[in-house]
Amino acid sequence: MAATEFETADASRAGGWGGVLAAALLLPGLHATVQAETAPEQAEIAVKVLSYRDRQPGFNRIKVTAPSVYLMVPVAGRWSVEGSLVSDSVSGASPRYHSAVSGASRLDEERTAGDVRVTRYNDRDAWSIGAAYSTEHDYRSRTISADYRRSSEDNNTTWNIGAAFGDDWIGSSNDPTLSRGRNTTQLIAGVTQAWTANDLVQLNVGASWGHGMYSDPYKFPDRRPDRREQYTVMARWNHHFSDWKATLRSSWRYYSDSFGVRANTLETAWVQPLSGGWTLTPMLRYTTQRAAKFYYDPVYDPALGAPFPPGYTATSPQYLSGDQRLSAFGAITAGLKVAYEFAPRWTADFSLEHYEQRAGWRLGGSGSPGLDRFQADWLQIGLSHKF
Amino acid sequence: MLRDTAFSSPAQAGAPDAPRDAPSDGPAAREHRHVFTAMASPNEIVLAGVSQPQAAEACALAEAEIRRIERKYSRYRDDSVISAINARAGRGGVTVDAETAQLLDFAAELHRQSEGLFDLTSGCLRRAWDFKAGREPTPDALAVQLARIGWHRVQWDGRAIALPQAGMEIDFGGIGKEYAADRAIAVLHGLGLRHGFVNLGGDLRVLGPRPDGQPWVFAVRHPRREDEVCARIALSEGALATSGDYERFFITPDGRRCCHILDPRTGQPVRHWQAVSVVAPLCIAAGALATMSMLIGAQAAQRLSMPGVGFLLVDGDGRLQSHDPERLLQHPAPSPP
Repeated sequence: MAATEFETADASRAGGWGGVLAAALLLPGLHATVQAETAPEQAEIAVKVLSYRDRQPGFNRIKVTAPSVYLMVPVAGRWSVEGSLVSDSVSGASPRYHSAVSGASRLDEERTAGDVRVTRYNDRDAWSIGAAYSTEHDYRSRTISADYRRSSEDNNTTWNIGAAFGDDWIGSSNDPTLSRGRNTTQLIAGVTQAWTANDLVQLNVGASWGHGMYSDPYKFPDRRPDRREQYTVMARWNHHFSDWKATLRSSWRYYSDSFGVRANTLETAWVQPLSGGWTLTPMLRYTTQRAAKFYYDPVYDPALGAPFPPGYTATSPQYLSGDQRLSAFGAITAGLKVAYEFAPRWTADFSLEHYEQRAGWRLGGSGSPGLDRFQADWLQIGLSHKF
Repeated sequence: MLRDTAFSSPAQAGAPDAPRDAPSDGPAAREHRHVFTAMASPNEIVLAGVSQPQAAEACALAEAEIRRIERKYSRYRDDSVISAINARAGRGGVTVDAETAQLLDFAAELHRQSEGLFDLTSGCLRRAWDFKAGREPTPDALAVQLARIGWHRVQWDGRAIALPQAGMEIDFGGIGKEYAADRAIAVLHGLGLRHGFVNLGGDLRVLGPRPDGQPWVFAVRHPRREDEVCARIALSEGALATSGDYERFFITPDGRRCCHILDPRTGQPVRHWQAVSVVAPLCIAAGALATMSMLIGAQAAQRLSMPGVGFLLVDGDGRLQSHDPERLLQHPAPSPP
């Protein structure tokens, strides 16, 4: 990386002609094909199967198998319609608090989800509207969204804004009388800049405001505020190495919410096309997170015992949760994706990701004590065809 | 700064460049080739993935755009913008339209970047050099024309241009044809077309790959052996332009080769490179960089080394030097069948 940058810098110091390209892009009516808003020309269909399992030492928790199908069709040159369907089957033990197994509470779930999106492409801009639906026997989610993006005259800058509104229903197989709702409004805005011919940088900010039930009906005791504000800032940088024909993707994401969770995530991936239609993409991600204000460690009331925190009474007004996703931890994900274009317009891909979460991996402070490490694996195989 | 180059397009290059996949998508996968002469060059527009009537209509509109630019900027036409500017040399300025202003700004930037080597006012040197008769100019004749060169003396404020001296002139040699290729591509793109290329006398810009996703392959002729190819360049997008010493030249009695690319500082023909081919995202950038490389000589490789640009240099002894991070250049097949 350094070598390329230094070479470029040397060339410009010696009077390189990089300014010629930049000046040419200012000329009227020369649509550079880079990054312009272009409608897709070919339809695409993709079929994928995702397999997920997570576990803690001595305890296999959840297995998910999720086949999905995706279809995108260009319409009348300026439009595209895309949609996907996924069906999950989840099986395993349902954790009720911290890491402990709650007897033999088995979990067998089916989830069906689908979404559809319509996009209109103009020369300089594109907008899209979409809807998504997801249902399982104790949960239903409906979302509508709209996005707009616009490119500058020289196509070097793209701005995007988007809004989404979600309406969820929460039930429980443990409590047939439970029927609660949750509404979420989400706004995002971002800018993408082609910095040089080989560098693309992007900044996105997002905010979401929700009210309704956030408590987990399968965890007890678990009482969370009924309002949640979430904010994210995400910066990405993609650098293309011409000599290697490879791309380094890097990103940093900051997350903050009104529960008190603060998280930083760094991710990097190397996209390496090889001869014969193969592409290898190794990936590494690190997250460090501060616990929610009302997360309690697995230290229990001496009289009541687990899972009750010390001093717990049924009428305690304060919020509390033992959900380890709200704890303080560090986590590393390592992954590899292999894609193979085995015939023109046919691609097969295979990806594997391993996730490991440990309290001790938190940066800048010890993580929540007393939690076992948590591991998860994703394996996905897919086949896609353009026609 | 006049440049003429010769390329054979895929349609002309024969078997080695034929598409790897035989057209299988019906009549729409056929290539439509439209040939015409404009800007004193043989030109072609090749489109694929569309029906014949659509292709014919699109080619007509693209050709009309090329002819509009030729009319507007030809130095041979009295009613052109260039002639209007030149006719006022030494007598005051001319206010120009927005398109002309942006081209002049671009040329000013080229002059700055090339430290004066790319100069719109250097075309007057052709009055001193007689390539048909093959005669070198006398020092006096050359001095008269050299005194008329100098973009830095032109008064250009972004809206009006004034040539300070009678006999001074500008022309868009080196950028006009290339700009026309880029504009023609914009017309085709605006019509929704995505597969094909526009080749104006060897300066070409690709609209998009073949319908099956394969690149177009262009042959670059050898600067000394007219029937030979010195490289093939595969492009799915972007542009290719070549500047060479072989199109208009004569050999002096003592054996020196005098080509039509003339250094604006000395009035003498360039001698370092036989030919320079540049691949860049836009044709106007590729063309300007190729011309500037011929003029700057030995430093060309260093100046051209930048992201998004590939190049092929043929030096005075016929040796090839290439910088090809995107691996666009292919060596010629040893013995084409």
